[in-house]
Amino acid sequence: MTSVVIVGAGLAGATAAATLRDEGFDGQVVLIGAEPMPPYERPPLSKEYLRGESDHHFVRPPEWYAENAIDARFGSAAERVNVTDRVVELQGGERVPFDEVVVATGSRNRRFPLPGLDLPGVFDLRYAPDADAIKAAAREGSMAVLVGMGFIGAEVAASLRQLGLDVTVVEFAGTPLERVLGPQLGGAIEALHRDHGVQMFFRDAAERFEGDGRFEALLTKEGRRLEGDFAVVGVGVEPVTEVAGDGIPVDNGIPVDATLKTSVDGVWAIGDVARHHHPVFGPIRVEHFDNAMKMGEHVARNLVGTPSVFDDAHWFWSDQYDANIQMSGFATEWDDMVVRGSIEERSFSAFLLKDGQLLSTFSMNRRFDVRRSMPLIATKARPERETLADPEFDLRELHPPKE
Amino acid sequence: MAEWVTVGTAGEVPEGDVTAFGVGDRQVAVANIDGDLHAFDDTCTHQQCSLAEGELDGTTIECPCHGSQFDVITGEAVNGPAVDPVGVFEAKEEDGQLRVLVDEE
Repeated sequence: MTSVVIVGAGLAGATAAATLRDEGFDGQVVLIGAEPMPPYERPPLSKEYLRGESDHHFVRPPEWYAENAIDARFGSAAERVNVTDRVVELQGGERVPFDEVVVATGSRNRRFPLPGLDLPGVFDLRYAPDADAIKAAAREGSMAVLVGMGFIGAEVAASLRQLGLDVTVVEFAGTPLERVLGPQLGGAIEALHRDHGVQMFFRDAAERFEGDGRFEALLTKEGRRLEGDFAVVGVGVEPVTEVAGDGIPVDNGIPVDATLKTSVDGVWAIGDVARHHHPVFGPIRVEHFDNAMKMGEHVARNLVGTPSVFDDAHWFWSDQYDANIQMSGFATEWDDMVVRGSIEERSFSAFLLKDGQLLSTFSMNRRFDVRRSMPLIATKARPERETLADPEFDLRELHPPKE
Repeated sequence: MAEWVTVGTAGEVPEGDVTAFGVGDRQVAVANIDGDLHAFDDTCTHQQCSLAEGELDGTTIECPCHGSQFDVITGEAVNGPAVDPVGVFEAKEEDGQLRVLVDEE
């Protein structure tokens, strides 16, 4: 192997490039990204960066790529990975040959074709310029209308309230994050935002954005008319798979095996776009920071060494107001939930179990429980309910012995 | 020039624990691993969270905010998102006092 081409220069792709060099790979590394800015971290865009508290956090310093002989093509969009000719075709016609290719194209915001979605003042948030546009519109005392209250919507709501804006949210489900957390934990997020003055309408959805040359109001399916100075739409993401063409299979992202390899020889996928076969959870696609970073590291090590299984238990955080929210594991359904601590006092962990097996741990302001759950989740542990419910019990006592 | 600074008492860092102390303008964390004291910059090089709030596992401290891990003996960032190392300092117990060898800034 002499050349690795990485398609997509978000956290996953940039981390893969960096880890290849960290691991001593001295062949050619090409890093192709559509965004002109060197790879940066997206989580601050809805939090510290949006509130003007921090500048961008780069994955590696901008000069690192040249210093480490990375052929960085930032601002250059890949059109297709041509697995027959073994080249990546760029917009404009250039063909970049590869021995191994890593697809790290990430995800993009879902856009429902609603009237008025293209009005100035209707934003969504994924890239740095999106955050800059919202920041510029977010003046103290102005009114924001948010569509969707997943993690991005909830974090933007919190940041805008912290900046002194009025915030109104319309959410399709019965609580924030109901699909991920269920109604009880979703209710805890709702209470957090209600206490911070966010006005929320559930079981309602956007129908039309109105305004004379610029956003003025959102009309909802339930007939509400919500006026505001600007709107932010956050209704989920979808994997960016167009580069797969007809040569790489696509099925809700790009399916990869437990070593992050696709069914096509020399083609790997990581980050949001990769639907990986997890040894505990089965085939899942994860849209979080830590997963993107860890997959980037893992694929690089698999490229230079003997491929090993990616078995990270998955973890993410979300900061909203002064609440630190974290979650580990992965659960789409569970038949039991054990709470330790107090949901009302916003200091609790919730353990999600199925058939007694711990699948996922969610916490608000009890972050140690979440990280300490990860070795249990990874080993399919079945902790006693009483143990989980005891706030004094240190989950590390249940960890498998270290090798 | 480096000098030994008293930051607290030995009892403030029991075995297996990490505590942060103010030293001039900076925060220095002291970890007690099996009776050995290791001092390092408390401020995570990723987004400036306090590492002493995180979890110590062997000689690795994990940042409570975003999961970066540092070796408390070498200061090296052994796991991202942090890339840059944290500074490390000599630490000792003397007459029940906790002392750290820090550079004057």
